[in-house]
Order: sequence, then C-alpha cells, then structure tokens
Amino acid sequence: MEARGVTCRFGDKVAVHKASVRLFPGQIHALVGENGAGKSTLLKAMAGAVVPTEGEVWIRGQRLDPATPAEAIRRGVGMVYQHFALVPSFTGMENLMLGVEPVGLLGWLRPSVTRARAEEIAAMTRLRVHLDVPAASLSVGEQQRLEILRVLVRGASLLLLDEPTAVLTPGEAQGLYELLRRIAKQGAAVAVVTHHLEDVSRYADQVTVLRGGEQVFQGAVSEVTTAELSLRALGEIPAVKRPTAVGGEAPELLVVVGLQAEGLDVKELRVRRGEMVGIAGVDGNGQEALVEALAGLRPARGSQRLGGCELAGAPPSARRAAGLEVVHGDRHRFALLAGATIHDNLVLGDLGPDEEAKVVRRMAVSGLIPADPSLQAGTLSGGNQQKLVMARALDRAPRMLVAAYPTRGIDAAAAAQIQQRLVAAAEGGAGVLLISGDWSELRTIAHRLLVMRKGRVVAELPPDVREQELGRVMLEGS
Amino acid sequence: MSEAVSRPSLPPGVRRGVWSVVVVLLLFDGLAFLAGEAPRVALLKALEGTWGTMYGLGQVIYKATPLLLTGLGFRVALRAGLFNIGVEGQLLLGSFAAGVVASRLPSSTPWPLGVLMSLGAAGVGGAGLGAVAGAMKVKFGAHEVIVTLLLNRIVEALVPYVLRRGVGVTGYRSGDAISGALLPRLEQLSEVFRGSAASLATVLALVVCLLVLRWERSSVTGREFGWVGLGAGVCEAQGIPGGRRLWQAMALSGGRAGLGASATVLGYKGYYELGLGAGAGFGGIAVAMLGQGSAVGLVGAALLLGTLQQAGLVLNASLPREAMDVLTAAVLVAASAGRGRR
Ligand SMILES: Nc1ncnc2c1ncn2[C@@H]1O[C@H](COP(=O)(O)OP(=O)(O)O)[C@@H](O)[C@H]1O
Ligand SMILES: [Mg+2]
Repeated sequence: MEARGVTCRFGDKVAVHKASVRLFPGQIHALVGENGAGKSTLLKAMAGAVVPTEGEVWIRGQRLDPATPAEAIRRGVGMVYQHFALVPSFTGMENLMLGVEPVGLLGWLRPSVTRARAEEIAAMTRLRVHLDVPAASLSVGEQQRLEILRVLVRGASLLLLDEPTAVLTPGEAQGLYELLRRIAKQGAAVAVVTHHLEDVSRYADQVTVLRGGEQVFQGAVSEVTTAELSLRALGEIPAVKRPTAVGGEAPELLVVVGLQAEGLDVKELRVRRGEMVGIAGVDGNGQEALVEALAGLRPARGSQRLGGCELAGAPPSARRAAGLEVVHGDRHRFALLAGATIHDNLVLGDLGPDEEAKVVRRMAVSGLIPADPSLQAGTLSGGNQQKLVMARALDRAPRMLVAAYPTRGIDAAAAAQIQQRLVAAAEGGAGVLLISGDWSELRTIAHRLLVMRKGRVVAELPPDVREQELGRVMLEGS
Repeated sequence: MSEAVSRPSLPPGVRRGVWSVVVVLLLFDGLAFLAGEAPRVALLKALEGTWGTMYGLGQVIYKATPLLLTGLGFRVALRAGLFNIGVEGQLLLGSFAAGVVASRLPSSTPWPLGVLMSLGAAGVGGAGLGAVAGAMKVKFGAHEVIVTLLLNRIVEALVPYVLRRGVGVTGYRSGDAISGALLPRLEQLSEVFRGSAASLATVLALVVCLLVLRWERSSVTGREFGWVGLGAGVCEAQGIPGGRRLWQAMALSGGRAGLGASATVLGYKGYYELGLGAGAGFGGIAVAMLGQGSAVGLVGAALLLGTLQQAGLVLNASLPREAMDVLTAAVLVAASAGRGRR
C-alpha cells in the first residue's frame, strides 16, 4: 500500500502536505507527531475516509478509486479509528458481526461462525473482551480492544490503527504489538499512530514523523534513537518533577469512607492538601465508577467529605461550587460538545460576565491548534480536545481535582505540559487524584499509588515501586 | 465522515428556502392538474387571492401569525434536542384558556390588562401541558414524542367535554371576550386591510420572535438550552442542570405555542370555538424546520405556509381542501430533507 504525495486541506487549513508513505507486507510502520500534526488525517486518506485534495492512494499496484471507505474495506484495508465506531446498545458479538453478518441457509444469522473466529483471534492475541454485554457497558479500554478485534475478525490485511494503545495498559499494549507482529509475519502490512516513542523503537520497523502536516522524517527505526525521534517530532520536552512532599500535618481535603456503587467498593480514600495520589490498575477495574461516583453522576452510598463538607448525594453543580473538579476519561460522554464551538466548550458550565476573559485565558494556556475559538470542537484532533478540557478544568482553580487519564492520546510534549500543570496545582495547595494508565506518569508525579482491582483499593505502594511489582499487584492484588 | 474538498455554495438557509418554494410550486401544479384545473390558471388565481389584494395579504398575515408562534415554540424544544409534537395540543389548551379567561374577566377590566391576563392564561395553559411532557421525560424517561402525542389526544377530548359541562356558552364555544381583552384589528389602523382578520397579534408575534432569537444567543439559559441539545450528559457533568433545562424547554415551548391564541381568539373571533387554530401546531413544526435560526427564515416560512392555507380557501371551488394539507406536508418533508443536507 502506498500514499503518494497526499495533501489534505480543510478549507484554508492544510492538515497534511505532500506526504508519501509506503507500507510493506510483514512490516509495522509507525506514524508519530504532535497532536494536530495530521497523522489521523493521513491515515483516513489511506482508508478512503477522507478524499485527498492532491495525491493518490495505491493498494497492491492499483489506485484506490473511488476513494471511499467501502472500496478500501473491499481491498482489505481495516481501520481502527481514534473515536470508537461501536453501536453502544449492541453486544460485543453484535458489533463484531455488524455489516459482515455470517448467514446460513434461508438467511439465518449464524453468530457461532463469528464467535469461533473471534475466540480464535482473542486466544491467539490475548485480547480480553466481554462479547455478550452491550458495548456501552464496557470500559473505554475494552471498547478499544473490541474495535481492534472487529477489524481482525474481518480479515483485513492492511491494518491502519489510530492510537490503538492510547487506552491500553502497558502490558496490554505490549500484547497488542506482539499480536501485530504475528499478523505482519503472516503477510499483512500494519500502520500504527502512536505517541509512545519507546514503543516505536521497540516494536516498529519503519517510522514516519509528521510535524505541522509536513513529513519531516522517514526511515527505518534502526536508524534513529528514541531521543532523536522525540526531538524531530516534538522539539525539546522539559522534565516534570513530583510536587514537593506533603507532611503528615497537611490537612486532609478529600475523605471518602465506605463508598459503594455499581462496580465499586472503596473502604477508604484520603487525599491531603497539596498531595498527588495516583490510582493505578488495569482498565475496567472500577476506575470509571470511582470517578463517576465522585463526580455525582453515579448513585453511591457512603460518605464523601471535601474539606469537611459532605458531598454524598450532591449534584455535579454543588460539587463544583464546593471546589471539586472532575476531568473524565470519556471526553465525548462527559466533557466535550463536539457540535458546539471551541468558545462555547471553554465556558461550558460556567457562563458569566467575564466570559470573554475566560475564553482568552483558557485558549492561551491550552495551546490549542488551530487557535480559533469559533471552530467546532469536534474538528479538533483528540489530543487538542483533551487540552481544551484540561485548560477549562484547571482554570476553574479547584481545591480538589480528580483527573482521569488526563494525558491519554496526547503527544509527549503536551502531556508534559499538562503534568506540569497538575504538579503546579498540587504545589498551590490543591489535592489531586490522578487516575492513569500510564505507569511512568504515575511513578513520576504521584506521591503514593493506590492500586484498584475489581472495584476495590487493594494496595498502597510508594511511587518508586518496581514496575514488575506494580504489574503483579494490579493483576493479583497484594 | 469528513469531506476534504468543500464546495462553495449558497448559505444553507437560502438554499432551503428556495428549495421549499420550488417543491411547493411543482406539487401545486401537479395537484391542480390532477384536479382537472389548468395549472397556470389555478396558480394565478391563488396568487391573486393571497398576495394580489390587501385583503388577501391580510388573511395571509393572519394565518401566518399563530404559525410563527408555534414555530418559535417548536424551535426552543428542538434546540434542546426534543421533538415537541405537542405544540398542537398546547396551542389548543392555550386558546381554550384564553377564551375562558377573556370572557370571564370583569367587564370593567381596562384594555391592556385584559389582554395581558388572557395572554397569560394562554401561555400558562400551553406551558403547563409542555411541562407535563417534560417532567415525564426527565423523571421517567418517557419519550417526549409519545407523551405529547397522547397529551394532544387527551386535550382534544377534554376541551369539548369541559365546554359542554358549562364552561362555554354553548357546547362548542366559550363566552364572548370582554372588550378590554381584545387585540385591535389592523383594519382599525388602516383602511387598506378592510375586512381582513389580521390584528395587532401579528406585531406581538414579530416582537416575540426577535426577543426569542436574541435571548437564545445571549442569555445564559438560552445558550444552555442549545448545549443540552448537543449533549445532555456532557452538560450535566459540567454542572449545567440538564434535566431541569429539558423540562424548562418543553414548558417554554408549550407556552409560546399557547400564545398563538392571540391571533385567533383575541385578535379575530373574540371567543374560543372548537377547531379554532387547529393545524397551526403541526404547521409550526414546518416553520421551525424551515426557518432555522434566523428571524427572516422563520417569518418567511410562516408566510409561505400561511399563503398555502389562504390559497386553499381561495381555490376551494376547484381544488379539494386536502390539497393544501398535502402541500404543507410536502414543505415539511422538504424542510427536513434540507436539514440533513448540511
Ligand atoms: N474535519 C476537519 N475539519 C477541519 N479541520 C480538521 C478536520 N479534521 C482535522 N482537521 C485539522 O487538521 C489538522 C490535523 O488533524 P489530525 O490529523 O486529526 O491530527 P493528529 O496528528 O493529531 O491525528 C488539525 O489541525 C485539525 O484541527
Ligand atoms: Mg489523531
């Protein structure tokens, strides 16, 4: 498969400029670059989902024509999008079958065919997904895995994955790359967009670096080091340091006792002023339930006190007034109106007389690209959407910040910036509860780590715990 | 799916407007032909009877007035993501309430006060009905289309019953409004509208239209309504009371629809009778869809539908009455098609 001099414009905006990428059977090709560099757009062009303004896409020596997703799929292209394309009310199985329903005599549906294939692939790849519950009830991580499984079940031989590991734990990501390697060995060509540059060095064969839509580097992974890649893709990244340690005399800010909700049973959780508490765990072990319960979006029993003020049963607006701010992991469900402008999203939930000032300020700290508040938020790349959400949350100057996966899907430079701001918030006296799937993030900036498993906090570990130990506790409990 | 190459084109509002007029003209010709009329003759006759004379124009304006108000009513719910089929029933209840209050006020009630109280009753009647549907949605998750559809039927059955049970002077109408509750006809202001049913209600509707559109853009609640329509869950999580906004939007929707009574009960008949203003609720759906967010669009859409209704009366002899209903429905379909073509 080959993209030849592909240029994609959206109005005046050049998202990709004269990019040429060749994918070979048996190889994994990594696409890297900062948020908004044009990686998704280039991938979509190769999948027929975006029609290039200039340039062409060739598959096995033939031009992709018409340039439509249907034609691309027919030619064996399988794309996993950054934003899930699952039918929420359908079960995993139904989502797998959708569009490629195996039918037998008289048009009877034969789910067993798909199931057998899915189970075979799942076993081979160690992808764990519940296939018999609605997709909506799966965690973000599981939904992502279901997406990947779906493309594989369809037997695609040209795999395009847009940030597939963004929502996976490091262990799962490794499993995925091993799987991609196996698929490649069987003759498939694979392209992966990722922000994890170490993964590129470790698992990919070829790499293309995009910056501002321009292709600034292309070559074999063996030719470059991770540090060089990072420099080319992102420029210098400042190191982030843990907030200053808080002593035992620092007052407790958030005190949660006996918190029980669907999928959640937390005996006790305390965060002091100025403290950064990390929550680690395999995705889908109650992290979302915890965040939703704390946000007042999921009915819960038990006490949740913030600075002495009982929040149990209070709606989100009352919690906000008490100084609690929650950044949700699922942006589209809880944080961002894709159909509204960036301007409106920046002040969503706190309209007031100083609206213009807020927009200017939040726009400036977010570092959004493009920096035009009149655009629809849905046109921003995923990382930029996350920057918007974080800028809004931090500008509300919360006393207590609950941040779920705040840097997921964000390039390393922007991630470092957000981590720096979380650290600054803690040093300014706020309590921070950081839920993350990024071990190095947790180990770098949290004061202590709580490990969640099956809805419970099963262990407390120091941040300098060995990775192996952390992984073991996450899987087995203490 | 994104489109990398964008074609230069007319603003969507203009395209939709032109599109609906073309559809109307084509269908009109077809219907006239089927009814055995020469299309050109029928068209000229229709134009003559609507925009050709001041009287005809007055009639068009009269018909367009409740349509504009129900259209504004439908719109507020639509922005909040709700499909308020109930505007028809809300208009009915509002008209009934206006008729009853206007006839039962002490006859000494001075002019603007009587009007305001009757209009208040119309608004409260419509709003109450809308609020019921909104509360059902928020509290029990009942779908607003089903609930409002059922409420329409209930009100349609209940109003005649209540009238017969002594609330009205006869079984089918309310008492006459006191003079302090009437809106002056336009013919009282200018000779040219002589005989037409248009009244100050039209001016009122225009003012409401401008205020409403401004409110949508610049008030906190107005803007939040639109946001809730884009994602109630997101709004809730960000501290906007999504549930409350939903039922408020339904109440406001019903209230505005109820104000349609100003043209019929207070501006024209001077009492409520069964069937007065019927159909203006459903017409309002087309007005909102066609007019989208602009005052020009909404007023234009209301005038288009008003013209169709008046043309139906003019062509009464040669075309079946239902022909104009078919046209109205066609406009609705065209309007919805235009929405999807963004
Ligand atoms: N549908 C669209 N309309 C307008 N601009 C878009 C659209 N899709 C992407 N863009 C812009 O193109 C640029 C590249 O986006 P994208 O390919 O999503 O970046 P990323 O490298 O983060 O995946 C960004 O500046 C983005 O805002
Ligand atoms: Mg992207």
